[in-house]
Amino acid sequence: MSSAEHLKRHTVTEFDLPPLTVGQRFVESIKRNWQIYLLLAPMVIYFLVFAYRPMLGLVIAFKDFSLFKGIWGSPWVGLEHFHTLFDDPYFWRAVKNTVIVSGFSLIFAFPAPIILALMFNEIRHQGFKRVAQTIAYLPHFISIVIVAGIVVNFFAPSGIVNLILTKLGMAEPTYFLTKPEWFRTIFIGSNIWKEAGFESIIYLAAITGVSPSLYESAKVDGATRFQMMYLITLPCILPTILIMLIIRIGNLLEVSFEYVILLYQPATYETADVITTWIYRQGLQNSNYDVATAAGVFNAVVAFVLVITANQLSKRLSKTSLW
Amino acid sequence: MRTSFDLYSRGDKFFGWSVTILLGLFVASTLYPFIYVLATSISSGAAVQRGDVMLFPKEINFDAFAYVMADRQFWVSYGNTFFYTIVGTITSLAVIIPGAYALSRPQLPFRSSFNLFVAFTMWFHAGMIPVFLNIRDLGLLDTRTAIIVAFAVNAFNAILMRNFFENVPHSFEEAARMDGANDFQILWRVYIPLSKPAIITVALFCAVLRWNGYFWAMVILRDQDKLPLQVYLKEIIVELNMSDEFATDLLSSSYSFETMIAAIIVLSIIPVIIIYPYIQKYFQKGVMLGGVKE
Amino acid sequence: MTNVTLQKVVKRYGAVEVVHGVDLEVKAGEFVVLVGPSGCGKSTILRMIAGLEEVSGGRISIGDRVVNRVAPKDRDVAMVFQNYALYPHLSVEQNIGFGLKLRGYNKDDRHKLVQDAADILGLTDYLDRRPADLSGGQRQRVAMGRAIVRDPSVFLFDEPLSNLDAKLRNKMRAEIKRLHSRLGTTSVYVTHDQVEAMTLADRIAILRDGEIEQVGTPIEIFTNPVNAFVAGFMGSPPMNLIPGHLAGTAKAPAIVLDEETSIALPALKEDSFAAQIGAQLGLRPEIIQLVAAGDTEAPLAYIDVDLVEPLGMESLVHARLCGHEIVIKAPGVVSFDTNARAGITFAPQDCHLFDGDKGARLDFEATS
Repeated sequence: MSSAEHLKRHTVTEFDLPPLTVGQRFVESIKRNWQIYLLLAPMVIYFLVFAYRPMLGLVIAFKDFSLFKGIWGSPWVGLEHFHTLFDDPYFWRAVKNTVIVSGFSLIFAFPAPIILALMFNEIRHQGFKRVAQTIAYLPHFISIVIVAGIVVNFFAPSGIVNLILTKLGMAEPTYFLTKPEWFRTIFIGSNIWKEAGFESIIYLAAITGVSPSLYESAKVDGATRFQMMYLITLPCILPTILIMLIIRIGNLLEVSFEYVILLYQPATYETADVITTWIYRQGLQNSNYDVATAAGVFNAVVAFVLVITANQLSKRLSKTSLW
Repeated sequence: MRTSFDLYSRGDKFFGWSVTILLGLFVASTLYPFIYVLATSISSGAAVQRGDVMLFPKEINFDAFAYVMADRQFWVSYGNTFFYTIVGTITSLAVIIPGAYALSRPQLPFRSSFNLFVAFTMWFHAGMIPVFLNIRDLGLLDTRTAIIVAFAVNAFNAILMRNFFENVPHSFEEAARMDGANDFQILWRVYIPLSKPAIITVALFCAVLRWNGYFWAMVILRDQDKLPLQVYLKEIIVELNMSDEFATDLLSSSYSFETMIAAIIVLSIIPVIIIYPYIQKYFQKGVMLGGVKE
Repeated sequence: MTNVTLQKVVKRYGAVEVVHGVDLEVKAGEFVVLVGPSGCGKSTILRMIAGLEEVSGGRISIGDRVVNRVAPKDRDVAMVFQNYALYPHLSVEQNIGFGLKLRGYNKDDRHKLVQDAADILGLTDYLDRRPADLSGGQRQRVAMGRAIVRDPSVFLFDEPLSNLDAKLRNKMRAEIKRLHSRLGTTSVYVTHDQVEAMTLADRIAILRDGEIEQVGTPIEIFTNPVNAFVAGFMGSPPMNLIPGHLAGTAKAPAIVLDEETSIALPALKEDSFAAQIGAQLGLRPEIIQLVAAGDTEAPLAYIDVDLVEPLGMESLVHARLCGHEIVIKAPGVVSFDTNARAGITFAPQDCHLFDGDKGARLDFEATS
């Protein structure tokens, strides 16, 4: 049977029901789907009110905003705030810090869960493995405030870190959190402590998917365990690594500002202040809403472009995309 | 399956031991801060000040706990956090579950548009200031409603849930429809019971966000009686710890500022530790679900 | 008891039409099997009857009611799904009673009806179990229980046995047949398995590419296939179809398979015959007999044997007849040397003849 015949259309027969008018079709569709619409409604309303409505508020980046006149009553000022922004060395410092912190996170924090997952996979003792995993996942569930509290406590002049260092022969205790040169190390290090274990789950899941027969045939071929890890496990989870890397690149600007706010202080702004914390201080602490929003627009647009680029990249490289 | 009677070469044994030791070190360093904080919380202030406490508690007493627990504000914010976590998570689920079900139905008109409508918010945010002004314009500043409702849905969780519903074999819906069920009944009597693990996972993710969230509570709430534990903790732990003015008062007594902070940390972690064993199997599954293509 | 009528039913997905104006009448109490290769539209038709797919054209009636725009739950039909779709969180009793509960039956009525259904299906001892604790056959029975408990006017079966192993499939097939003769409910049954179709059906509808090729009782279809497709589809192993062309006259025709092989056929109807047209000779594996060397009867043709599959009571001989692969079902055990040449014979009135191009049946003159 030819494909042309396969596509043939039957002409209208006397048995066809009279077609519905547009109005009837509408009524019919509502009758059939009103329950689904009703189930969907709360979510749609939520996003409209709390995600899309704020997007309208982005216009204040182009306005001389006053709380008094409101978003729509305030006069337009064009790109003035962007000029202010781009002339502000502290804004550029924040941009620079954001990129640097993200870059270092990518280098140090990104591989951590992968290495951890590979190590978990090599543990033969099931009891130890389970206990180790349980403990490794735990910090993820601890509030960032508490993590900050512990970090502050550990790195305080009288804290355990200084205690150990003085015992090892260092003369003066260092107040690490007031030293700009220490901020990134402490920030990224404590982030690894908090999240590496939990993030290893996704790689462990990928490792579970590796066919055991690959290992068996490698073993028959005389491979050592290290070779098997390096030549089988790692290549097999490479697609997952790639996806995670792309997501990470897409979110390059999203430095966990909640955490930064907890750890930084004026003395460390030099290295610690990132775009979002800059926005926070300008907008919410100094009530410079319009300039802060301009920075927010800058941030959101760059982030969006990064996400789109990363996704295209992903499509090209691994034929997997996020949408 | 690898069996336990593998015969390993010397090199392999060395490799195995190295990995075990490295991982052991990692686990120890993960665990150490918890142990240190616990030891500090039940040691005397003087011992901590002298630097005697490194692993084991010295001069054990519970005065720091007594001091913290005598503070009304501590209990108020503790209660608030439970309220925000429980009511907030229920609210989140009440919006996410029906919404995700609807999004997963092939018969939903304009389905892909609705999906894009939700997913778009993952990649483009209005940002901090517009969100704040939006909440202010809605008259929700300094209200519990803002905390509960304004952050009820996160697109990632919604999509996670939708992915799960999509993977339920379609014949369940069809069989229920033939049995006479409408969409509400299909969701309530078939999809929700079938999706218990996924729902618990999403609930867990929502609850973790709620339990740990402090930033918006700090920005939105003014009234001390509405503050969650995390904001209270931030004020005490981080801000006071960084200012040295507090340091000398309590030196000689059985508790000090440091042991008190440790006690607060211990008290706020306890609920997490208690439910942690029950939730562990779910979040492992949940993270894998998250890997499903959006 | 209710009949189901399909009149010029069409199904389109966008621009692609997958069911092209199907007409089918399922009489009250009848068991009709829709059979065909995968992708022929049989499941789509069933799902349109169920109301799970919209009807793009034509009309479907259940009883005297046109149901095109009636919701599935209001059609008074019940369906058994291929994967059973048993709710894993409910017990067998709750699974069977689910539809009753939704329809507002009270607890006692529900219990009684579920008991009755369980009795019929032999599930009484399993009512408290969860589907996960049941065997494949028991699950299948629960799925049927869910359908029969509502006492619907029509049963729809969507390949209900395809998830079972061969042995269980035979057993359940017999059970479905027994169930139908006991309840007498109008049934439409979809399968790709022609053995199921033959054994279960009062009438079979054979589909190909969204159209019905033939409707008839199993025997009609087996003995009088309307075309080469139907002939090749029914029967196991299927009918051998050997291409050739017609020669002779309508009164004394023959089919020429190659230069050496020409087989005389019974008289053909006048309109079936045209000299030199392409034709296909249809030979069921069962009607072909092997001619032993010393036999008095002269063979009609010769085959080259490829291999023999012994099945115990019979043997399947795979061979080439004039270069075309054929299968012969021979009784008992036969053995050949490799590449042996053997003679075959068959009764000419048992063979079938089809048009070489479209495959339409060429009828023999009726022999009284």
